[in-house]
Amino acid sequence: MKYDIFFAGVGGQGILTIGEVLAEVAAYKDTPAKFYPSKGMAQRGGFVKAQLRLGRENVGPNIPQRGADMVIAMEQSESLKAIPFIKSGSDFVLYGDIWAPTAVSLGKAPYPALDQIKEQVALAGAHLVYINPANLPQFNGEPVHPNLFVLGVIIGQTKLRDLIHSEDVEHIIQSRFKRNVEANLYAYRSGTTVVC
Amino acid sequence: MKKLITGNEAIAHGALRAGVKAVTGYPGTPSTGCITSLLAMDLKDTHVEWSVNEKVALEVATGVAWSGHRALCTMKMSGLNVAYDTLISVAYSGCEGGLVIYVADDPGANAGMCEQDSRYFALMADMPMLEPDSVAEAYQMIRFAFDLSEKIKGPVFIRLVTAIADSFAEVEVEPPAPVSQAAPLLIMDIQKYTKAGSIIATNQHRELIKRLEQAGQVIDQSGINKTTFSKKVGGLGIIAAGIASAYLAEGFEAAAPFGFNWEETSTLIIKATNPFAASEVRQMLAHCQTILVLEELEPLIEKGVYLEAQRSGYNGRIIGKLDGVFSRIGEYGVQQVVQGIATGLKLSIPDDLFKGNTQALNLAAARPITVCAGCPHRGTFIAIEKAIKKLGLKKSEVMVTGDIGCTILGMNPPFNLVWSEISMGASLGLAQGYVRAGVKTPVIATIGDSTFFHAGIPGLINAVQHQVDLTLVIMDNRWTAMTGMQANPGTPCANTLNSFREVDIARIIPSLGIDHFWTIDPFKIKASVEVISQAMQLPGVKVVLARQECAIQAQRQTGIIGKIRVVEENCNLCKLCLMITGCSAFSLGSSSIKIDPELCYGCGVCVETCNREALIEEAI
Repeated sequence: MKYDIFFAGVGGQGILTIGEVLAEVAAYKDTPAKFYPSKGMAQRGGFVKAQLRLGRENVGPNIPQRGADMVIAMEQSESLKAIPFIKSGSDFVLYGDIWAPTAVSLGKAPYPALDQIKEQVALAGAHLVYINPANLPQFNGEPVHPNLFVLGVIIGQTKLRDLIHSEDVEHIIQSRFKRNVEANLYAYRSGTTVVC
Repeated sequence: MKKLITGNEAIAHGALRAGVKAVTGYPGTPSTGCITSLLAMDLKDTHVEWSVNEKVALEVATGVAWSGHRALCTMKMSGLNVAYDTLISVAYSGCEGGLVIYVADDPGANAGMCEQDSRYFALMADMPMLEPDSVAEAYQMIRFAFDLSEKIKGPVFIRLVTAIADSFAEVEVEPPAPVSQAAPLLIMDIQKYTKAGSIIATNQHRELIKRLEQAGQVIDQSGINKTTFSKKVGGLGIIAAGIASAYLAEGFEAAAPFGFNWEETSTLIIKATNPFAASEVRQMLAHCQTILVLEELEPLIEKGVYLEAQRSGYNGRIIGKLDGVFSRIGEYGVQQVVQGIATGLKLSIPDDLFKGNTQALNLAAARPITVCAGCPHRGTFIAIEKAIKKLGLKKSEVMVTGDIGCTILGMNPPFNLVWSEISMGASLGLAQGYVRAGVKTPVIATIGDSTFFHAGIPGLINAVQHQVDLTLVIMDNRWTAMTGMQANPGTPCANTLNSFREVDIARIIPSLGIDHFWTIDPFKIKASVEVISQAMQLPGVKVVLARQECAIQAQRQTGIIGKIRVVEENCNLCKLCLMITGCSAFSLGSSSIKIDPELCYGCGVCVETCNREALIEEAI
């Protein structure tokens, strides 16, 4: 099964880690995976994107516009940069975190409202899976890492679960994050059961 | 063993598989990951270093190769410009051991700078150039590059683009080959290793041209440029070079529902850009009715196709950039393959097959790149701004030239301070030019530590020699930071894997005969403003060394240095702190400013911006 995922967010959210985990799961299950993270000149807080192409050995790194079977976005405004890439009928997963640029905080520049994002996702013919950051669970009184929670939602709720199995994701999380395995697994599992 | 690795890591593992003796380079996105991964391996028999610049890196690698051993030199396209002065002479002389130059280009300028097509350097230097189209192929081809270099006794280029250098794929990685322990050769041969006189130089030029011809024969025998012909003569012939060929299969699949039949199509996949694959191109011209050329950036292969078409009296159509179908700007993807096929075969494929909803992009908030929370450069930018104001000047009246690296972020809000970004070290020469043009207000040059070592020192010496009135601010954060924290000559105790001695900028400056020299702590704004404003008023060359370690790196090693507390009752949400610092640790609360403890490094720069004592530093 061919499956292309486009990621958008800002540096520091751990969105690239979602892609790396999925690429590792694919490799572990002998599914061809090409993962192209792109940080540009971003420092912490700058725009980052990534592209994951699963299921094809002979394929270039860039997903064309209207080619992504799923978008995973973790910042409300930056999610707009993924809209041209979503395929009609596909899942557009948005963790609605807001990292306001300074000009926005100072009231000097506009910031897109959630309704505007919804409208654009609908125009692209995609299905919005919205994750409210307020619903981020806590583990031992501390909020969990949102990226693993989002990964859980994706495996729990999107078509990707036909290609990537939850137990394999758990296996990679366990081997990749040797410290705080419990908290990370909790973050991931909470995502798989949440209803968006 | 199968491993998920990047193109850069594939070059590194491939070079180890080829038994490389030394790897040198200078950091530059997208090439950095190759040496970073090698340094992490703690290699016993292979010397790996971040050199002071690309020219020196190439010279070190060349010395190794002239002694009969294998050497790899890595750089981004801008670095090749720096190294080229040495490279053209080395190409003339040739080499003994294999010498491979890995250059990474950046179509689409994902990492800034330029869309330079380094394939033209291969043409200028008459050097073979190989272009793998995938991560796995990069791993294989680097070994071929070493073999080729030793067969022709000349240096060989291997070129990747960002989309391969930085992307991950699974590669079957074999263990490293043993590194040769043979005694180094000491060959004294002025006919080969000097350029003294026309006879020597023209003889070397003759040898160079022969080497490239010989490389062409080796490449032909290797079959790395692949032709596939349709059964029936005629039809479409696709010539794809480098990464463009990685999108063919996807393009064929996408075009199939619109009447495209790959069996009626011929292809030539070019992996060796130089020497030009003339015989394969002639076969394509003889077989095909229409030729489609797919290559990113410049129409280099395409021009060669036109030349062969002229020679062979070809009267079919050639589709590419020269007829205006494709752009010289940006990356290629499946859409160019499909568009080319549609044009060549006159298929009606909808234009919007790969055109998404781009109006959404206009709604996204602008997110100019800026310095990180805790970055020492923030303090330096603010201090320069305040010094300008203190002297009764406006920012629009004071030229502040910029350089390469994180120090350029002063160009963006909230600072809007730095005016220019040209090349490594250019801040110094440019500043002198403005003074020579008669600018009467103080002129300031800003540069980072790694950039200063790389190419800033000659510019500073020129300013001293010619006694130019300028203030140089060296923003020394002790690391080559923007490319991801590589060690440079000034990094304290940076490299535990190799012998390493720190070179102290504070000792270089006085030795150049600079009378006015201060070291400041950029986290202390008031004191820094005093020094910078004083420097701006003095004649001659003045140097201010703003020294404080990169917050990201320092935090990794020793944690935060302080904690800033908001005194909520004193805060009236005037946002002055946010306006001046633009620090990402701030957000707006309902009645006061908020600080994200996860982001705050405790630099304390914001404390000095507040006039209501609403921000206070607390010990940790």
